[in-house]
Amino acid sequence: MKKSSISIFKTLLVASGLLCATSCSDFLDREPDQILTEEQVFSDPVMIRSVLANFYGRVTWGQHIGDSYTFTILDEAGKSDGGPDNIQRFSDTQWRVHDYGLIRNFNQFLQGLRNTTVLGETEKLQYEGEVRFLRAWTYFNMCKGLGGMPIVGDEVFEYSGGMDVTALQYARSTEAELYDYVISECEAISTMLSTDRNTNSARANKWAALMLKARAAIYAASIANYNNKMSSPIQTPGGEVGIPASMANGYYETALSAAEEVIENSPYELQLTKPDDLERNFYEATSVKDNNREVIWAKDHGYPGQGQQVNFTTANIPGSHAEDIDRAYAGPILNLVEDFEYSDSRNGDIKTRDDQDNYIFYDDPLDAFAGKDARLGGTVILPNSLFKGSQVPLQAGQKVWNNGAWQTITSQPGERDGAGRLITSINGPNRSNEQYINKTGFFFRKFLDETPGASTRGRNSDMWYPRFRFAEAVLIAAEAAMELGDQSTAVDYINRVRERAGIQPLSAVTLDDIIQERRVEFAFENHRYWDLKRFRKAHIVWNGVINSSTAQQWALFPYLVVAPGTSNDGKYVFERLPFSNSLHPRLFELRNYYNFIDFAWQNANPKIVLNPFQ
Amino acid sequence: MKKNINMLLVAALLAVSSCGLDNYDAPESIIYGRVVYNGEPVGVRGTGEAVQLQLYQDGYELRNPIPVYVSQDGTFEAKVFDGEYKLVTRDNNGPWVNDRDTTIVNLRGAAHVDIEVTPFYTLSNVQLSLNGNNVDASFQINEVAGGRDIDYVMVLVGKTMFVDDVSYTERLDISDVSAGSTITDVIDLSNNTDFKSGRSLYARVGLRPAGKDQAIYSQVVKLR
Repeated sequence: MKKSSISIFKTLLVASGLLCATSCSDFLDREPDQILTEEQVFSDPVMIRSVLANFYGRVTWGQHIGDSYTFTILDEAGKSDGGPDNIQRFSDTQWRVHDYGLIRNFNQFLQGLRNTTVLGETEKLQYEGEVRFLRAWTYFNMCKGLGGMPIVGDEVFEYSGGMDVTALQYARSTEAELYDYVISECEAISTMLSTDRNTNSARANKWAALMLKARAAIYAASIANYNNKMSSPIQTPGGEVGIPASMANGYYETALSAAEEVIENSPYELQLTKPDDLERNFYEATSVKDNNREVIWAKDHGYPGQGQQVNFTTANIPGSHAEDIDRAYAGPILNLVEDFEYSDSRNGDIKTRDDQDNYIFYDDPLDAFAGKDARLGGTVILPNSLFKGSQVPLQAGQKVWNNGAWQTITSQPGERDGAGRLITSINGPNRSNEQYINKTGFFFRKFLDETPGASTRGRNSDMWYPRFRFAEAVLIAAEAAMELGDQSTAVDYINRVRERAGIQPLSAVTLDDIIQERRVEFAFENHRYWDLKRFRKAHIVWNGVINSSTAQQWALFPYLVVAPGTSNDGKYVFERLPFSNSLHPRLFELRNYYNFIDFAWQNANPKIVLNPFQ
Repeated sequence: MKKNINMLLVAALLAVSSCGLDNYDAPESIIYGRVVYNGEPVGVRGTGEAVQLQLYQDGYELRNPIPVYVSQDGTFEAKVFDGEYKLVTRDNNGPWVNDRDTTIVNLRGAAHVDIEVTPFYTLSNVQLSLNGNNVDASFQINEVAGGRDIDYVMVLVGKTMFVDDVSYTERLDISDVSAGSTITDVIDLSNNTDFKSGRSLYARVGLRPAGKDQAIYSQVVKLR
């Protein structure tokens, strides 16, 4: 016994001695192979470029085609996949942005960039413009959710253990100061950035900077304007939330001049390459990268390249056109479809019943949408419209005339009746809990990729996600001009967008016209939530009332009429129904106008003031 | 033999040392009470954690409050450790004048605290009854703090005992009402599926002051 334990001990001793003697010296002297030093990066132009490229991939927040669920939260689309989504309220941290780690990275890059010797002056200026643009974009995204936040400028903070950190604790700026910072940064960099277009508008140029300036200014203007028109303006005593009403006009003027600079001097335009097919024209203006004239800055995706694709098409393609297993994850809802005007009427309601509450019969489901704003056909796949050259069927079932009453018949998708007539189409819609069947009556068209293979898991899509495009400059100019009292300028701008959509011009512009136009022009483009917030309409539109036309989600189900011997046999009728897969109306509350400050930030920095309602 | 003892010793060591990791007993002491005006509890929306109070405690590194959720009948209860706390309403949350005054609570086992608030309006003389296919509602609006408009009053019918402006089976909004008046109205339930099913029904009335995030309510009554 004793012998074995001593020899074990000896062996251990010798072994550990060997370990120390041999591998110690090499082990701790290895070079890190996953961390690059400042010197390594800024002595190599390719490395500098690659760091900048990395930054472009870190600034995507809010709605995005990389996350189809984000489109189903509001009043634009409904999630058709699987069981019902029970959401009702909005999160206190809805789409909240807070990334000072990223801002620090930007500032580190700026520091290294300004001191590097391997780049020429023009290139240095261009890169500086781009990184400051991305930084301003980050602050803007923070501001529209949280209000004023600490502005750290170009600081790269140094920290050593045990130091007094009060100097590192910056207080929140006022909301106005943060918008002003974004605006002044955009002004400063607009002379550094190129005026040329670039591949797929993936990189920032002068026009992207001016668009950000215009958008920041119009957001600040509308908050200064409409927040103070509430019966209880939302504000903090120190101005971290809330902008004085007296500042509104100044911001509207800034927005108008920045937007007009883009409209008049940029190489972009309201794309009109297919004036004889306005629906196709609108689809191409937003969703086709080749020869695009409209999009100023986008989150681009690529193929091939690992991790460079996006699965919006794979998830949302109609089953009738699917190339793989996935399909029909979500679809536009009737609320959005009915907000598009008709060319002869500003009321977009689909006529499903007449004054005596009888069905209205259509030869083809698509006829119910005849004469609609061309942007509808470019944004939404309507029942029996074409995608990639073939029809997309959407038929919920049959309405059979039986003994003086209508009987509703539905089936498994694709089944036919005894006479060979389709009952429920392969695409649905239905009201079941199954996945892969549409439940709203419509499919996405905007951002749906027509490239062969784009709906397969193996290839996915390299569709881009536009962030700024020319139409926004026009509508910012229309809104700013209207608010400044210049109706003729406002009317001129809004009618340019309406003309491209094939609908009647307006003779005067009100706030409701602006909201309406932005709703239908920018569906699924991450504008709706921020627009209703800055106009302080969100709690009125999304008021939580059951069966409200705006807060409740609605579906439109087409049915084939089976009434042999009558003139209506073989025609189609529609039923308007609450969307079955998200039955609670949306409830936007006063506290949702600003994200909650995380208590952890206040723990780390006592100067951080909480937002109202916290 | 030695090996076994060694293993036992190691196991014993582990058992002894793990006692020190995160082995606090759950708290047993309660702070309970009501949000009141004039001795009467204030009715609020009880669902969705809508109305909250906050418990702060000094002397710790982190400064986050503990949320205290107010039920629809105005009562609240929090189970925490003994100590000295500061109880305060949440900022701008509730159908009363925003008042962030602190109530000190010294907790030794149990503490009963009533939080006084000043509503903008109150509802009184509330009559709610089922009459055939209809719900008859009658109530009086009283101005307390006033100073702001009334957005609307609501008569709410629910299929569970939790009834509020987002949990209801039937809701009637009445606008253009003023303080000091008595509101009488009728809800027709003949097309309501929950009414037709014969199940229990509950009701209350509510008032939404303009610009406030919450409405004030009467207590829930059972209709049938």
